[in-house]
Amino acid sequence: MQVYLPIAEMSVDALLLLGIGFGVGWLSGLFGVGGGFLLTPLLILIGIPSPVAVASGANQTIGASVSGLIAQWRRGNVDVRMGLVLLAGGFTGSALGVQLFAALRKMGQVDLAVAIFYVVVLGTVGGLMVMESVRAIVQRRRTGGTPKRHEHFWMHGLPWKMRFRKSRLYISVIPPALVGFAIGILSAVMGVGGGFMLVPAMIYLLGMPTSVVVGTSLFQVVFVATNVTLLQAVQTGSVDVVLTMLLLVGGVAGAQFGAAFGSKLRGEEMRALLGLLVLGVALSLLWGLVRRPDKLFTIGPLL
Amino acid sequence: MAPPAAPRSPLAGRALAAGLCALLCVLPRAAATQPPPPVPLVAALSRGEIAITTGFTGDEIVVFGTTDRSIGAGADEILVLAIGPTQGMVVRRKTRVLGFWINGAAARFPGVPSYYAVTGTRPLRDLLGEGDRRELQLGIDALPLWSAGPQGVGYRAALRELKQEAGEWIEDVSPITVAAGHLFQARIPIPATVLTGDYLVEVMLVRNRRVVARQALSLRVDREGTAARIADVAERAPLVYGLVCVLLAALAGWFGSVLFRRG
Repeated sequence: MQVYLPIAEMSVDALLLLGIGFGVGWLSGLFGVGGGFLLTPLLILIGIPSPVAVASGANQTIGASVSGLIAQWRRGNVDVRMGLVLLAGGFTGSALGVQLFAALRKMGQVDLAVAIFYVVVLGTVGGLMVMESVRAIVQRRRTGGTPKRHEHFWMHGLPWKMRFRKSRLYISVIPPALVGFAIGILSAVMGVGGGFMLVPAMIYLLGMPTSVVVGTSLFQVVFVATNVTLLQAVQTGSVDVVLTMLLLVGGVAGAQFGAAFGSKLRGEEMRALLGLLVLGVALSLLWGLVRRPDKLFTIGPLL
Repeated sequence: MAPPAAPRSPLAGRALAAGLCALLCVLPRAAATQPPPPVPLVAALSRGEIAITTGFTGDEIVVFGTTDRSIGAGADEILVLAIGPTQGMVVRRKTRVLGFWINGAAARFPGVPSYYAVTGTRPLRDLLGEGDRRELQLGIDALPLWSAGPQGVGYRAALRELKQEAGEWIEDVSPITVAAGHLFQARIPIPATVLTGDYLVEVMLVRNRRVVARQALSLRVDREGTAARIADVAERAPLVYGLVCVLLAALAGWFGSVLFRRG
């Protein structure tokens, strides 16, 4: 069934969009990531112009994350205090990231910069996650117990300590604010919510328990995606509400199934799967950069 | 329907004369009082407007008309040309740097037709002499493509090839059908990706491999219904539109979690 998208100015198969929405929503509920890093490349792949794909992807992320967030909230897995600290850093970072993006665009290599950002960031994050979680799984099999995850190092000597009850942490607000800031920059440049980077950062850098990480990440993603959607609607006018709603109909259903499935998985198994997924996307993007293109020329509207 | 405007120059001349007499008089009326010259060609569009609704998957332009002499090979023949609003295009060439394929030099074409279609009772190249065809800019290879940036032949060829692949530049895809020797009808497909705006459809009468009469018709492509309203709001009140998008998405998410709540 074909549907005309008023902002993208093209018609696409509605069933295809519903399917993509479901798949990405399922992952969103399972891993607590917005899914933007999967959704945006997929939309571009089926021929949606990239500004529309980025903007509508952010809009879709709101819906999918709200759905996932409510599911996590009911399970008591959201650390609101941690989320607010991350968010404060995130807004500052994304404001700066937008400037960086504008500078890259001026240099005329925004496509390449974004692709390299994706490959490096996704490759590093995915690789680290897979290595760590495999080690944890092996260790658990060997000893039969859960490894100690909370270690003390220099980070814990910083001032402005705050108690994060849900995360069972008593740490300075500086590391989470910095994590939020860095991810704010990256998410503005890569046009994604940043959940796939936030989840590992919360686990490995802040030492939060996996169960709380997913809900708290979704909390942050909802607000970052709202910010991006509003900015895109005002500055580029490329948010396509018909595209968003079609993706969401599939997405909200997917997110619920994903969240239910996620509660059956062990923390390290879930991290290994997310790591593999992120690594897979990074490798396919790398392949896209290295492979000889079918056509040497591409055309697009002059902006 | 537009008044028959075949051989254009006499009509224009008369209109000019009438205009000199009195600028305020209604020009077509003044012209119509003279006995009309023989009309070799009359053409019309089946619709003056193509509506892009939420179910739009492409459409077709239907042009029909009659001629005073019979149509056929060697006798009078018909050519139909349709041009969409111009659009700036950029053609990028990929180059290999350190093993990576990246966008290299780009040629910018500030104004090319977003849609271009030409078809005839016979293939274009059989209808017109090569010189005439080039002069009238008929045919995709005769389109003037001015560009800024690198001037390689490859950029122009790539633009032509990719536009044709998208179905946005078409040539001789649907021949004109003729009934009873005088009635012709052309159906020209337009893809779902067309731009909105004013389109020009020109019908030409070809005699002895020369264009002897032409009639211009105008066609408007516009969004209609829900699609039009959404695009309108997004353009006029982007902040409101953005807020509505955010709220709708959040509501859909909330609704989903309520709907799928178990136990």
